[in-house]
Amino acid sequence: MLDSLIHLAAGIDAVLTPYNLAVIFVAGMIGTVVGALPGLGPSSGIALMLPLTFGMPHVAGLCLLTGVYLGTMYGGRITSILINTPGDAPAIVTAIEGYPMMCQGRGGLALGISAVSSFVGGTFGLVVLIFFAPIVTAYAIYLGAPEYFMLMVVGLSTIVLLAGDNVVKALIATLFGALVSTFGSDYVSGHVRFAFLPDLIEGIDFVAIIIGLYGLSEVFHNIEKRTVLNLGKPSLKIREYVPDAASLREGALPTLRGSLLGNAIGILPGAGPTIATFLAYALERKLSRHPEKFGHGAIAGLASPEAANNAAVPGALIPLITLGIPGSGGTAIMLGALIIFGLQPGPLLMMQSGDVVWGMIAGLVVGNVFLLFSNVLLIPLFINLLRVIQTHLASVVIGLCLVGAFSLNYSLFNVWIVLIFGVVGYLMRKHSYPSGPFILAVVLTPLAENYFRQSIMLSQGSWGIFVERPISLTLVLLMAATIAIAIMNKQGMFKRGPASRAS
Amino acid sequence: MKHTRLLTCAVAGAIALALPVGVMAADFPSRGLEFVAGYTPGGGHDIMLRTMAKIIQEGKIVAVPITVVNKPGGAGAVSLGYLNGHKGDGHFLMASTSSFVTTPLTSNIGLNYKNFTPIARLGIDPELLLVNAQSNLKSLKDIAAAGKVLNVGGTGKGGIEQIVTVLFAKALGKKLNYIPFQSDGEVVTALLSNHVDFIVSNPGSAGEFIKTKQFVALAISTETRSQTLPDVPTFKEQGYDITLSLFRGVVAAGDIGAAEKKYLAEMVRKLSETDEWKKSYLEKNRVEPAFLGPDEYAAFLADMNEVYRTSLTELGIIK
Repeated sequence: MLDSLIHLAAGIDAVLTPYNLAVIFVAGMIGTVVGALPGLGPSSGIALMLPLTFGMPHVAGLCLLTGVYLGTMYGGRITSILINTPGDAPAIVTAIEGYPMMCQGRGGLALGISAVSSFVGGTFGLVVLIFFAPIVTAYAIYLGAPEYFMLMVVGLSTIVLLAGDNVVKALIATLFGALVSTFGSDYVSGHVRFAFLPDLIEGIDFVAIIIGLYGLSEVFHNIEKRTVLNLGKPSLKIREYVPDAASLREGALPTLRGSLLGNAIGILPGAGPTIATFLAYALERKLSRHPEKFGHGAIAGLASPEAANNAAVPGALIPLITLGIPGSGGTAIMLGALIIFGLQPGPLLMMQSGDVVWGMIAGLVVGNVFLLFSNVLLIPLFINLLRVIQTHLASVVIGLCLVGAFSLNYSLFNVWIVLIFGVVGYLMRKHSYPSGPFILAVVLTPLAENYFRQSIMLSQGSWGIFVERPISLTLVLLMAATIAIAIMNKQGMFKRGPASRAS
Repeated sequence: MKHTRLLTCAVAGAIALALPVGVMAADFPSRGLEFVAGYTPGGGHDIMLRTMAKIIQEGKIVAVPITVVNKPGGAGAVSLGYLNGHKGDGHFLMASTSSFVTTPLTSNIGLNYKNFTPIARLGIDPELLLVNAQSNLKSLKDIAAAGKVLNVGGTGKGGIEQIVTVLFAKALGKKLNYIPFQSDGEVVTALLSNHVDFIVSNPGSAGEFIKTKQFVALAISTETRSQTLPDVPTFKEQGYDITLSLFRGVVAAGDIGAAEKKYLAEMVRKLSETDEWKKSYLEKNRVEPAFLGPDEYAAFLADMNEVYRTSLTELGIIK
């Protein structure tokens, strides 16, 4: 503990130079913008910045990369809230509650609350990273394919909560998502599925799907309904955009829960922040005393996933720093950067190059504080920017979506995918098929499938592997309990239903 | 206001840093080069390409920016499809290892090594058979004597790790249960946590864990002992005739112009002669230097294709 503090102090000392602070400042801003643009997420942001770091001192270079990484997590929420177009995968859930708030004229509040939650989540994650990284890693690696499979199943079970009124339609959407996710190469069998075109060997890019399904379909919907966003009166007073005490209080507990969940899941190699945000949302909805508010701008449903999202960033850095194993796309590129800087990632990294790593961690601490302030201060800018372009909003969003789609792979193929899923999303919405279950199935079913096959291969054909391992068994029991409670509740509701009508 | 000015300065500085310094050819490359890794970041392909990109850019071997992209999946099949999608465009350079030959043989992807333009082989690296230091398996004899079917971890399906595993199983005369993982990082994690009994992996991914004495290498797949790991006995000296090393090279898309091919070959040759490359890539990743130019590499690939086709057919992996 004390050791960590001494190292951190040395790290902060190394970071507090005008040059490094400027680097962190710029990195945070670039990350915010990159995260906000549909199609550009943490991986592309870090990859874009990588060549810039070559001439820099190691600490500054790593601060630049981690600053961009953290910044994208702040930025992803901006377009989700403003125009219902998630900038990257972890921001999908933010759109579910954030965009309705925007439509109700509470967009500034949504941006403010989510900035604060992001900060708290990030801080929580950093504290764990600073004090418990080695301990956490020792436990995290003992989770194997069976645990990951069960975790995916728990994630998929949140479909029940995202389903809305019509469960059959939700299941159809889920199966459609599962089908879409099977396109492309499969590393367990080595076979390629449904590759009618060479481009499909890679499968359908998940980000192209969300850009179409959310961004473009929203435009189609708005054109049909002639929706006008309630943006209120033009105002540049910061005071009006800083969240009030009551809203902050409402978001406090969900933020803490989201931080815990996001950090825990972010640490697990491969699971990533996307699943953390969905689970955090589902948890809040389950715990809420006003579940009917969810989907219509519930602060709890906004705060918790945002905190989870940002807590996952330092979480994903833990296996990278302690073992040299990346837990997400963004950290994977950081790994490459460490090697290129001449460091040797792996179990010896902290011993051999501790000063650089602690400098990077200190940079994250400073960057997180900076991002909170810049993101709150920038809210009036975003809101007023949207007000200025409102009459041309449809064209602007379509432009952003198509450019974002192109930038995914520098090919027109993804532009077609975005257009197709724009129409699919519009039709789903028109006929009230929920998009949440669809997108969740697209993300989780391929992971579930691979972990399931690996589990069965590890056990050499025995299903017992899912109940023989303590953590896997715990997850199985948790699932069983959730289902049992859900069934009992349902029966209880049926009993109460006619009675209440009689009275 | 102050913030804005600071930001402007910093952005201007960043742009200045990114500007190209010298120009080598007039019309090619007309934009940045893209290095394509067929596996997830942190794996062998990725580390090689990122180190190459860094040395090429720092040494100003070419003037255009280089981006490394990862196209993982299907034991390299995804990256083959991706590169084939850019046929005739010389701006792409892909890492090619054994899976470059084996994946087209094992999966019906409608592509093979002939669809691409060989540029250079940069080195070879051996496969190691590794156990967790706490494992009861202390030697190949223990593996031969094990009473149960052992779980073996490796990267991808039908790749070199699986072929080595299958050859070893055949030599032992017993069944081994091979489990494909998505990346070298996942394979290493699986052994760290004892989820598998042993792994077949390359020294680049597992080397640090040998240093910390968390892993023990029981055998190496080279003809003679490696200079960098002199304590590790070969399969051969322990009585198992397995000599199959991963090769590391680069290929470009098919049908590219002769000038583009020459440009890329020249770029890679210059890179391979730098001290920085020897020091920060070959030595660090324990790769043996074994440079081949475009024509020799093409001939080598044809040979390897034959070797793999024969062994995979023999082992029943392909019909």
